[in-house]
Amino acid sequence: MPTIEIEAKTTEDAIEMACKHFSSTEDELNIEIIENKSTSIFGIVGSRKVKIKATPKTDSAVLIARDILEKILALMVVDSEISAEKKDNTIFLNIKGNGSGILIGYKGKTLEALEFIVNKAVNKAYGKKIRVIVDSENYRQKKEESLKDLAFKTSEKVKKTGKVAIINPKSPYDRRIIHLALKEDPYVQTKSKGEGLFKKILVIPKRGS
Amino acid sequence: MEMKELIEYIAKVLVDNPDDVRVTELEGKQTSVIELRVAKEDLGKVIGKQGRTARAMRTILGAASTKIKKRSVLEILE
Repeated sequence: MPTIEIEAKTTEDAIEMACKHFSSTEDELNIEIIENKSTSIFGIVGSRKVKIKATPKTDSAVLIARDILEKILALMVVDSEISAEKKDNTIFLNIKGNGSGILIGYKGKTLEALEFIVNKAVNKAYGKKIRVIVDSENYRQKKEESLKDLAFKTSEKVKKTGKVAIINPKSPYDRRIIHLALKEDPYVQTKSKGEGLFKKILVIPKRGS
Repeated sequence: MEMKELIEYIAKVLVDNPDDVRVTELEGKQTSVIELRVAKEDLGKVIGKQGRTARAMRTILGAASTKIKKRSVLEILE
Protein backbone atom coordinates (compact mmCIF):
# COMPACT_ATOMS: atom_id res chain seq x y z
CA MET A 1 0.00 0.00 0.00
CA PRO A 2 1.33 3.41 -0.90
CA THR A 3 1.77 5.79 2.00
CA ILE A 4 2.61 9.47 2.03
CA GLU A 5 3.65 11.84 4.74
CA ILE A 6 2.38 15.37 4.62
CA GLU A 7 3.25 18.46 6.61
CA ALA A 8 0.83 21.32 6.92
CA LYS A 9 -0.28 24.02 9.27
CA THR A 10 -3.44 22.28 10.38
CA THR A 11 -4.65 18.70 10.41
CA GLU A 12 -7.50 19.67 8.06
CA ASP A 13 -5.09 21.09 5.51
CA ALA A 14 -2.93 18.01 5.69
CA ILE A 15 -5.89 15.67 5.21
CA GLU A 16 -7.11 17.73 2.29
CA MET A 17 -3.71 17.47 0.65
CA ALA A 18 -3.66 13.73 1.21
CA CYS A 19 -7.13 13.38 -0.33
CA LYS A 20 -5.96 15.31 -3.37
CA HIS A 21 -2.87 13.19 -3.65
CA PHE A 22 -4.85 9.93 -3.78
CA SER A 23 -7.87 11.52 -5.49
CA SER A 24 -10.16 10.03 -2.87
CA THR A 25 -12.32 11.19 0.02
CA GLU A 26 -11.33 11.37 3.67
CA ASP A 27 -13.16 8.22 4.73
CA GLU A 28 -11.29 6.25 2.08
CA LEU A 29 -8.00 6.95 3.82
CA ASN A 30 -6.34 5.78 7.00
CA ILE A 31 -4.91 8.84 8.65
CA GLU A 32 -2.36 8.82 11.40
CA ILE A 33 -1.06 11.94 13.07
CA ILE A 34 2.65 11.65 13.71
CA GLU A 35 3.46 15.12 14.91
CA ASN A 36 1.39 17.95 16.22
CA LYS A 37 3.68 20.70 17.32
CA SER A 38 2.63 24.08 18.41
CA THR A 39 5.02 26.94 18.90
CA SER A 40 2.28 29.31 19.86
CA ILE A 41 1.70 30.85 23.22
CA PHE A 42 -1.82 30.29 24.54
CA GLY A 43 -2.79 29.20 21.05
CA ILE A 44 -2.89 32.73 19.74
CA VAL A 45 0.32 33.57 17.99
CA GLY A 46 3.06 31.54 16.39
CA SER A 47 2.91 28.67 13.98
CA ARG A 48 1.75 25.11 14.17
CA LYS A 49 3.12 22.17 12.35
CA VAL A 50 1.19 18.98 11.82
CA LYS A 51 2.62 15.92 10.19
CA ILE A 52 0.33 13.11 9.11
CA LYS A 53 0.70 9.78 7.45
CA ALA A 54 -2.01 8.78 5.00
CA THR A 55 -2.64 5.35 3.53
CA PRO A 56 -5.59 4.54 1.30
CA LYS A 57 -7.87 1.85 2.66
CA THR A 58 -8.62 -0.82 0.13
CA ASP A 59 -11.64 0.76 -1.39
CA SER A 60 -14.88 -0.85 -0.33
CA ALA A 61 -16.40 -0.56 -3.80
CA VAL A 62 -13.42 -2.41 -5.23
CA LEU A 63 -13.85 -5.15 -2.64
CA ILE A 64 -17.57 -5.47 -3.36
CA ALA A 65 -17.00 -5.60 -7.12
CA ARG A 66 -14.28 -8.19 -6.86
CA ASP A 67 -16.26 -10.32 -4.43
CA ILE A 68 -19.37 -10.40 -6.63
CA LEU A 69 -17.43 -11.30 -9.75
CA GLU A 70 -15.45 -13.93 -7.87
CA LYS A 71 -18.64 -15.60 -6.64
CA ILE A 72 -20.29 -15.60 -10.05
CA LEU A 73 -17.22 -17.14 -11.64
CA ALA A 74 -16.98 -19.77 -8.92
CA LEU A 75 -20.60 -20.73 -9.58
CA MET A 76 -19.81 -20.90 -13.29
CA VAL A 77 -17.15 -23.43 -12.31
CA VAL A 78 -14.39 -21.31 -13.75
CA ASP A 79 -11.09 -21.12 -11.95
CA SER A 80 -10.13 -17.53 -11.89
CA GLU A 81 -7.77 -15.00 -10.55
CA ILE A 82 -9.06 -11.46 -10.47
CA SER A 83 -6.99 -8.34 -10.17
CA ALA A 84 -8.75 -5.14 -9.25
CA GLU A 85 -7.76 -1.54 -9.63
CA LYS A 86 -9.56 1.77 -9.15
CA LYS A 87 -8.90 4.86 -11.20
CA ASP A 88 -11.03 7.97 -10.70
CA ASN A 89 -14.57 6.66 -10.59
CA THR A 90 -13.97 3.45 -12.45
CA ILE A 91 -13.11 0.00 -11.19
CA PHE A 92 -11.12 -2.21 -13.51
CA LEU A 93 -11.48 -5.93 -12.92
CA ASN A 94 -9.21 -8.17 -14.89
CA ILE A 95 -9.85 -11.89 -15.00
CA LYS A 96 -6.76 -13.89 -15.62
CA GLY A 97 -8.20 -16.49 -17.94
CA ASN A 98 -7.08 -19.97 -18.82
CA GLY A 99 -7.12 -19.00 -22.49
CA SER A 100 -10.28 -20.90 -23.30
CA GLY A 101 -12.24 -17.77 -24.05
CA ILE A 102 -15.28 -19.14 -22.26
CA LEU A 103 -15.61 -15.92 -20.30
CA ILE A 104 -15.36 -13.79 -23.41
CA GLY A 105 -17.92 -15.54 -25.58
CA TYR A 106 -18.95 -14.84 -29.15
CA LYS A 107 -17.94 -11.26 -29.97
CA GLY A 108 -17.36 -10.58 -26.27
CA LYS A 109 -20.99 -11.22 -25.36
CA THR A 110 -20.25 -13.12 -22.15
CA LEU A 111 -17.76 -10.54 -20.93
CA GLU A 112 -20.31 -7.82 -21.64
CA ALA A 113 -23.01 -9.72 -19.72
CA LEU A 114 -20.71 -10.22 -16.72
CA GLU A 115 -19.80 -6.55 -16.76
CA PHE A 116 -23.44 -5.51 -16.95
CA ILE A 117 -24.49 -7.67 -14.00
CA VAL A 118 -21.50 -6.68 -11.85
CA ASN A 119 -22.16 -3.01 -12.62
CA LYS A 120 -25.77 -3.28 -11.49
CA ALA A 121 -24.91 -5.25 -8.38
CA VAL A 122 -22.06 -2.96 -7.33
CA ASN A 123 -24.09 0.19 -7.82
CA LYS A 124 -26.82 -1.32 -5.70
CA ALA A 125 -24.53 -2.51 -2.91
CA TYR A 126 -22.26 0.52 -2.87
CA GLY A 127 -24.99 3.14 -3.12
CA LYS A 128 -22.88 5.59 -5.08
CA LYS A 129 -22.58 5.66 -8.85
CA ILE A 130 -19.45 3.92 -9.97
CA ARG A 131 -18.42 2.29 -13.22
CA VAL A 132 -17.02 -1.21 -13.43
CA ILE A 133 -15.10 -2.52 -16.40
CA VAL A 134 -14.48 -6.25 -16.68
CA ASP A 135 -11.73 -7.53 -18.91
CA SER A 136 -10.21 -10.90 -19.55
CA GLU A 137 -7.11 -11.84 -21.50
CA ASN A 138 -6.80 -8.23 -22.70
CA TYR A 139 -9.88 -8.67 -24.85
CA ARG A 140 -11.16 -5.15 -24.25
CA GLN A 141 -7.86 -3.56 -25.05
CA LYS A 142 -7.53 -5.52 -28.27
CA LYS A 143 -11.08 -4.66 -29.21
CA GLU A 144 -10.51 -0.98 -28.53
CA GLU A 145 -7.50 -1.03 -30.80
CA SER A 146 -9.38 -2.73 -33.60
CA LEU A 147 -12.25 -0.24 -33.29
CA LYS A 148 -9.85 2.69 -33.46
CA ASP A 149 -8.27 1.08 -36.49
CA LEU A 150 -11.68 0.81 -38.13
CA ALA A 151 -12.39 4.46 -37.30
CA PHE A 152 -9.15 5.69 -38.84
CA LYS A 153 -9.56 3.55 -41.95
CA THR A 154 -13.10 4.83 -42.47
CA SER A 155 -11.99 8.42 -42.05
CA GLU A 156 -9.25 7.85 -44.65
CA LYS A 157 -11.89 6.54 -47.02
CA VAL A 158 -14.08 9.56 -46.42
CA LYS A 159 -11.19 11.92 -47.09
CA LYS A 160 -10.45 10.17 -50.39
CA THR A 161 -13.99 9.94 -51.70
CA GLY A 162 -15.49 13.00 -50.07
CA LYS A 163 -18.63 10.98 -49.37
CA VAL A 164 -20.35 9.93 -46.16
CA ALA A 165 -19.34 6.47 -44.93
CA ILE A 166 -21.39 4.24 -42.66
CA ILE A 167 -20.02 1.97 -39.95
CA ASN A 168 -22.18 -1.04 -39.03
CA PRO A 169 -24.36 -0.86 -35.90
CA LYS A 170 -22.35 -0.84 -32.68
CA SER A 171 -23.10 -0.85 -28.98
CA PRO A 172 -22.95 2.45 -27.05
CA TYR A 173 -19.57 1.54 -25.58
CA ASP A 174 -18.08 0.73 -28.96
CA ARG A 175 -19.60 3.83 -30.54
CA ARG A 176 -18.03 5.99 -27.89
CA ILE A 177 -14.58 4.67 -28.79
CA ILE A 178 -15.13 5.47 -32.47
CA HIS A 179 -16.53 8.94 -31.79
CA LEU A 180 -13.61 9.73 -29.50
CA ALA A 181 -11.05 8.40 -31.99
CA LEU A 182 -12.28 10.81 -34.65
CA LYS A 183 -13.05 13.72 -32.36
CA GLU A 184 -9.77 15.47 -33.10
CA ASP A 185 -9.90 14.74 -36.82
CA PRO A 186 -10.23 18.13 -38.58
CA TYR A 187 -11.62 16.68 -41.80
CA VAL A 188 -14.52 14.55 -40.62
CA GLN A 189 -17.29 14.57 -38.07
CA THR A 190 -19.22 11.62 -36.69
CA LYS A 191 -22.85 11.03 -35.86
CA SER A 192 -24.87 8.12 -34.56
CA LYS A 193 -27.94 7.12 -36.52
CA GLY A 194 -30.71 4.67 -35.76
CA GLU A 195 -33.03 3.49 -33.07
CA GLY A 196 -32.41 1.39 -29.98
CA LEU A 197 -29.19 0.34 -28.34
CA PHE A 198 -27.28 -0.47 -31.48
CA LYS A 199 -26.82 2.45 -33.82
CA LYS A 200 -24.91 3.01 -37.03
CA ILE A 201 -22.16 5.58 -37.14
CA LEU A 202 -21.94 8.09 -39.97
CA VAL A 203 -18.56 9.51 -40.80
CA ILE A 204 -19.21 12.79 -42.57
CA PRO A 205 -16.68 14.98 -44.39
CA LYS A 206 -16.53 18.49 -43.00
CA ARG A 207 -17.43 21.22 -45.45
CA GLY A 208 -14.77 23.58 -46.71
CA SER A 209 -11.93 21.22 -46.00
CA MET B 1 -26.95 -28.15 -9.61
CA GLU B 2 -24.56 -25.25 -9.93
CA MET B 3 -26.68 -23.59 -12.60
CA LYS B 4 -29.52 -23.15 -10.16
CA GLU B 5 -27.20 -21.61 -7.59
CA LEU B 6 -25.64 -19.36 -10.19
CA ILE B 7 -28.99 -17.83 -11.14
CA GLU B 8 -30.01 -17.62 -7.51
CA TYR B 9 -26.88 -15.71 -6.59
CA ILE B 10 -27.15 -13.27 -9.50
CA ALA B 11 -30.85 -12.64 -8.82
CA LYS B 12 -30.15 -12.03 -5.14
CA VAL B 13 -27.55 -9.34 -5.75
CA LEU B 14 -29.89 -7.51 -8.12
CA VAL B 15 -33.18 -7.40 -6.22
CA ASP B 16 -34.41 -5.46 -3.20
CA ASN B 17 -35.96 -8.52 -1.55
CA PRO B 18 -33.36 -11.28 -1.78
CA ASP B 19 -35.34 -13.47 0.61
CA ASP B 20 -38.14 -13.73 -1.93
CA VAL B 21 -35.95 -15.17 -4.65
CA ARG B 22 -37.04 -18.71 -5.56
CA VAL B 23 -35.25 -20.82 -8.12
CA THR B 24 -36.25 -24.29 -9.25
CA GLU B 25 -34.54 -26.51 -11.75
CA LEU B 26 -36.34 -28.99 -13.96
CA GLU B 27 -33.66 -31.32 -15.14
CA GLY B 28 -34.04 -33.02 -18.48
CA LYS B 29 -31.70 -35.34 -20.32
CA GLN B 30 -29.92 -32.60 -22.21
CA THR B 31 -31.72 -29.45 -21.30
CA SER B 32 -32.66 -28.16 -17.93
CA VAL B 33 -35.16 -25.44 -17.37
CA ILE B 34 -34.39 -22.99 -14.60
CA GLU B 35 -37.35 -21.12 -13.26
CA LEU B 36 -36.83 -17.87 -11.42
CA ARG B 37 -39.43 -16.24 -9.23
CA VAL B 38 -38.94 -12.91 -7.47
CA ALA B 39 -41.10 -10.48 -5.54
CA LYS B 40 -43.53 -8.62 -7.77
CA GLU B 41 -41.80 -5.27 -7.33
CA ASP B 42 -38.46 -6.84 -8.23
CA LEU B 43 -39.61 -8.26 -11.54
CA GLY B 44 -38.32 -5.22 -13.39
CA LYS B 45 -34.93 -5.58 -11.72
CA VAL B 46 -34.31 -9.08 -13.10
CA ILE B 47 -35.71 -8.26 -16.53
CA GLY B 48 -34.23 -4.82 -17.01
CA LYS B 49 -34.70 -2.16 -19.64
CA GLN B 50 -35.72 -3.93 -22.85
CA GLY B 51 -34.89 -7.24 -21.19
CA ARG B 52 -31.21 -6.40 -20.95
CA THR B 53 -30.68 -7.88 -17.50
CA ALA B 54 -32.57 -11.05 -18.40
CA ARG B 55 -30.48 -11.35 -21.55
CA ALA B 56 -27.25 -10.89 -19.59
CA MET B 57 -28.30 -13.64 -17.16
CA ARG B 58 -29.11 -15.97 -20.05
CA THR B 59 -25.74 -15.26 -21.65
CA ILE B 60 -23.89 -16.06 -18.43
CA LEU B 61 -26.01 -19.17 -17.92
CA GLY B 62 -25.28 -20.22 -21.49
CA ALA B 63 -21.53 -19.87 -21.00
CA ALA B 64 -21.63 -21.80 -17.74
CA SER B 65 -23.74 -24.57 -19.29
CA THR B 66 -21.36 -24.96 -22.22
CA LYS B 67 -18.67 -25.73 -19.73
CA ILE B 68 -20.58 -28.72 -18.35
CA LYS B 69 -21.78 -29.67 -21.85
CA LYS B 70 -25.45 -29.10 -21.17
CA ARG B 71 -28.11 -26.69 -22.24
CA SER B 72 -30.00 -24.54 -19.77
CA VAL B 73 -32.97 -22.31 -20.35
CA LEU B 74 -33.94 -19.52 -18.00
CA GLU B 75 -37.59 -18.76 -17.47
CA ILE B 76 -38.64 -15.78 -15.41
CA LEU B 77 -42.05 -16.42 -13.88
CA GLU B 78 -44.51 -13.93 -12.56
